Amino acid sequence: MNKKILLVLSGSGTPDEAITHAAGRAKKEGATLVALYVLESAQSKEAFETFTDIGFIGDKPSSDISESLMREYRQRGYEELGRVQIKAMEAGVNFEPLMEEGEFISIVLDVIDRLDIGAVVLIKPKEKASFMKYFSKSIVDTIKERAKCDVEIFVEK
Amino acid sequence: MTIEIDRRPLWLLLLIRAGRPIFFLAVTALFLYLVAMPTPAGLSVAGQRAIAVFLVCLVFWVSGVVPLSVTGILAMVLVPLLGVLSKKDTYAIFGNEAVFFILGAFILAGAVMHSGLSGRIALNIMSKFGSSPKRLLLSIFILAGVLSFFMSEHAVAAMLFPIVLEISKALGLRPGKSNYAKLLFFALAWGCVIGGVATFLGGARVPLAIGILKETTGRSIEFMDYTIAVFPLVVIMMCAGYFLLTRFFPIDVAGVENARGVLEKRLKNLGKINFDEYAVGVLLLVTVLAWMFLGRSLGLATIALSAVVALFVLKLVSWKDIEEYVNWGVILMYGGAIILGTALERSGAAQWIVHTVIGKWFTTPASVFAALSLMSILLTEAISNAAVIAILLPVSVGIAGKLSIDPSILTYAIAVPAGLAFMFPMSTPANAIAVSSNYVSVKDMAIGGFIMCIAAWVVFNLCAYFYWPLVGIGYTR
Repeated sequence: MNKKILLVLSGSGTPDEAITHAAGRAKKEGATLVALYVLESAQSKEAFETFTDIGFIGDKPSSDISESLMREYRQRGYEELGRVQIKAMEAGVNFEPLMEEGEFISIVLDVIDRLDIGAVVLIKPKEKASFMKYFSKSIVDTIKERAKCDVEIFVEK
Repeated sequence: MTIEIDRRPLWLLLLIRAGRPIFFLAVTALFLYLVAMPTPAGLSVAGQRAIAVFLVCLVFWVSGVVPLSVTGILAMVLVPLLGVLSKKDTYAIFGNEAVFFILGAFILAGAVMHSGLSGRIALNIMSKFGSSPKRLLLSIFILAGVLSFFMSEHAVAAMLFPIVLEISKALGLRPGKSNYAKLLFFALAWGCVIGGVATFLGGARVPLAIGILKETTGRSIEFMDYTIAVFPLVVIMMCAGYFLLTRFFPIDVAGVENARGVLEKRLKNLGKINFDEYAVGVLLLVTVLAWMFLGRSLGLATIALSAVVALFVLKLVSWKDIEEYVNWGVILMYGGAIILGTALERSGAAQWIVHTVIGKWFTTPASVFAALSLMSILLTEAISNAAVIAILLPVSVGIAGKLSIDPSILTYAIAVPAGLAFMFPMSTPANAIAVSSNYVSVKDMAIGGFIMCIAAWVVFNLCAYFYWPLVGIGYTR
């Protein structure tokens, strides 16, 4: 069966180096490059609740904000997936785009299981101060701990 | 199907699952202890109970475990239940003029949004003046500020956000990387925050503060007097905000042609201005003028509610439209806060707190003003601005009594800074959406916001010290 390498895209823009690296690895291993963009609905839900609970604004404007955010995230997702597709084509590897809505960690773990992913490339933001690391574990570290495949972490500069 | 085993220690899992019930049990235990403990010397039983209710509400408002309006209902339930105020008094206070003014102002703002007038004004101004990156930025900043003079700053943020988002998209600005995108979203958020303190209409906090002031002392602050006192602060902070933002994030785009395309397309979609927009605009203008010049004689709430009736008589809105734009929790939150403030004052609890706990810290009117305004501006960065007022104002009325300071002055000291939340997404909805767009990071907002927060506090105190005496406002009675 064809091996699959999953590149999990970042909502705030995936570095070119990470995309090039994932495409290069897929080519080297003869794998399909799967790019996943997670639409985090929690953020738009939070925006809705902030406006209704704290701002006491009615449902309509709060929903409009929430929808604008989701539209924006979706648009960004298409753009990010497009960037990966171009790199994949340049590297001559098979490419499979995915955009799923929900909670980041569970979506990534579910995709790993569902598509029988062989390796995953995750993008980690710049290192936190050590005292912050003590209090909160990063999403990337949590996925690394729980994923049943090879996990490669790409630290953003 | 795979089954995942959570390998964390059992005690930790139980603690996580039981966190919420434990929290409520702990708060209930604290409440019962405060109610049942021996009454401290100098404090009445009613006062002791009022403090217990106050502390429970404080914990709920700060922690946000239940919606703000539900905490308001809790205050409404506990105050008569514990005999702090009679049932009749409690519900009479809930029907305070301030609550109906807030309600009327929110309905009017809802009608303005529903008619599309506010959106049309915003698009026209941005399209007319936003010909260069600097001018577009300035037009968004000033527009957010000026619109917040006339309607809730949250409603302004909600209305402008999709437009700013579309502009950023059209300009190809990259989230988290583009300085210009940061500038646009900061201009939106901070414009609303600064403009929101200019009049009674920017948010419900000033009417709430005045409602508490009136219930506890019989004094009031007029619409026009408030705006005259606060306006220099607004102008200076708008200039300071623009200066700070453009120094922190130098403009990194050459032109804004694509943004103009977005604005023109949106304007075209709106079509020609219709009767409803004209009528709502005229009604808003007449109402604001009435608040300014007839507020003292007719009453702010009466004018606000008359405008609401006029909206329906002229068939400018339907009840369903209003329901979509107004969250009725606003009445419960503010009504509950006024009841709580009044309960603290009438039961003698506020005076007791001042005399035994914090009275010794303050000696001069200027130091009281500086300390209370600092507390207010710092607290509002972390909790809802209405909660800040409900927490600080009753105590400040007690301090005013002790030091012979005009309580209206301390109402300004708390109500104005309570609106100046620059630092965090949880401070105010406008900040929250700027961050959730991903164009602005929490770190950017915390650093810039801290500088703005300190600058606002200094400017506010300087205005109070040097400018207010010129317009007839002094520290002492």
